[in-house]
Amino acid sequence: MTATHDSAEPAPVVGHPPDMPETADISNDSETAEGKVSALADLRSHLRRSPAGIAGITICSLFAAAAIIGPWLPFLPDPSQQSLPDKLTPPVGWGGTWAHPLGTDQLGRDIAARLVDGARISLLVSVAAVIIAAILGTALGLVAGYIGGRLDTLIISAADVQMAFPGVLAGLILVAAFGPSVWLVIIVIAISSWMVFTRVGRSLVFTLKTSLFVEASELAGASSRRVMWRHLLPNLFSSLITLSVLELAAAILAESAFAFLGFGVQPPRSSWGLMIQQGRNYITNGWWIVTFAGLAISLVVLGVNLLSQWLQSFNDVAEREQIILERPGS
Amino acid sequence: MLRWLAKRIVAAALVVFIVTSLVFVVTHVFTDPATVSLPLEASEEQRDQRRAALGLDRPIGVQYWDFVSGMVVGDFGESFWQSQPASELVFERVPATLRLVAGAAVVTVLLAAPLGMLAAWFQRRFADHAVMGFSMAAISAPPFWIGYLLIIIFAVQLGWVPTFGSDGWRSLILPSFAVGLASAGRLTQMTRRGIVEELRKPYSVTAMSRGFSRSYTIVHHTFRNIASGFVTMTGWELTRMFTGYTVVIEVVFAWPGVGRLAVHAIENRDLILVQAAVVVLATMVVVTNLLVDIARRMIDPRVELL
Repeated sequence: MTATHDSAEPAPVVGHPPDMPETADISNDSETAEGKVSALADLRSHLRRSPAGIAGITICSLFAAAAIIGPWLPFLPDPSQQSLPDKLTPPVGWGGTWAHPLGTDQLGRDIAARLVDGARISLLVSVAAVIIAAILGTALGLVAGYIGGRLDTLIISAADVQMAFPGVLAGLILVAAFGPSVWLVIIVIAISSWMVFTRVGRSLVFTLKTSLFVEASELAGASSRRVMWRHLLPNLFSSLITLSVLELAAAILAESAFAFLGFGVQPPRSSWGLMIQQGRNYITNGWWIVTFAGLAISLVVLGVNLLSQWLQSFNDVAEREQIILERPGS
Repeated sequence: MLRWLAKRIVAAALVVFIVTSLVFVVTHVFTDPATVSLPLEASEEQRDQRRAALGLDRPIGVQYWDFVSGMVVGDFGESFWQSQPASELVFERVPATLRLVAGAAVVTVLLAAPLGMLAAWFQRRFADHAVMGFSMAAISAPPFWIGYLLIIIFAVQLGWVPTFGSDGWRSLILPSFAVGLASAGRLTQMTRRGIVEELRKPYSVTAMSRGFSRSYTIVHHTFRNIASGFVTMTGWELTRMFTGYTVVIEVVFAWPGVGRLAVHAIENRDLILVQAAVVVLATMVVVTNLLVDIARRMIDPRVELL
């Protein structure tokens, strides 16, 4: 018997439907300190068996660290320092020197330093957008699922229309009307992702609504706000966090696309998408600008995707047990 | 079936109407095409003049009626930038965008179906890991970057295909891959997951216990059972292409489509042209969704009645 089974088993006691295993962990864990420890141990032991999960977490942490402490790294030159004699220096291995390990761009600025600098904007914008979308979308999903009625019809129709009218188009029209800005990009990405949280949150609430612990608290006289906040929301967390990570990958790609089109950050500030836009005229004599900037985007999105896949497999008990069964001895 | 179809068409028309109205709110209530077209330092008088010339000084209800009734007959107003009806400019670009999406759809389906089946066939073996690694890379890389990589490798270094433009089918190859790779990656993963799940079901187990090979079972039995999901997902990917990937890829390859027109219109502060392009793209998305629903209904009649 592994830790996995231990924490999943008491679920029916608190009244969760047996087909909602992923939410079972959290509700138990919030009750007792013991449960908390076992959930963490569970997560860790699951991680140890998943190289993809480890890779995902490592990549994500490295990029997050670069974004946070980047400007204080001692060995990086100033990302905006131009030096025309050094312009379009190739990277090490293609005739460059260790002074500029990844080469320089058309104005002689160090590519490595600009990548680290660009990480800030790119990650900040996408994380902010996902947080806004998650809060807004989950709140609407909770209300739609729990209160129901006309409000539910209204919210879910709005989500359907949003599905049919994807965010990029909203982005085009908003940028055309108000001009390019970072804030607009955050809003546009949040607009194109809230309905995912609403739909998932709502459908989870539907299944949870009839469980014993919700009915018990209703009978005990809890207000709907209390039921949603104290009983439903904690049970949505694990699914919503998994969903947020998935949406983060899409958000980073969207941010880079907007920056590439020139709708986001404006120079002299830098972001990965903007580096590709500025480097595209030099693909014949300076391929490294576009290549490394795109590589940075791809790597961080890959890390986020791996992380999200691992979280999904952790939430999916069937798959979790399959992994345990297939790899005995761990 | 006919009632269902009628309902779906009405719902689709409703979505187009709502989207058009939202576009109107953004472009006429929060700002207006005259203000956007003028530089920031323009005087209030100049703005009023331009507004009057465009009929933007009339009550908002009248403008809304004009806007919506114009849309119905395909009249989107006149573009400032090109001094030509916006509808003409947009409609002459539609075929190029459709060509690109068609090319990308071919790439997507031709890659995803065989690769997904291959991965499921060799589940947890080398071929599976290779295919999954490829699809993971495809969904993680930004499409416009894939576009530049393809240009650097196949057009600049090898010189096999033209760098950009749109003459002949050869220039369609690279953009189609740039648009289609991410979709192919997602669809491959979905196909593999679907087949692996189906292979555990009794009918697949029976087929294999009767002596059919795993590959035969996958191709002739299992894949048919996930076909409905495959079509739906392909449709989803098509809508993503219309609204996201084509816009950036058209810019990368200087492809004369609607998306690139919209981006140029934004750069030239031509709000009327942008709203025309956006409404046309949104309509294409809604029509694609409708077609996908119909296709799904035909493949799998169990699809619920709305």
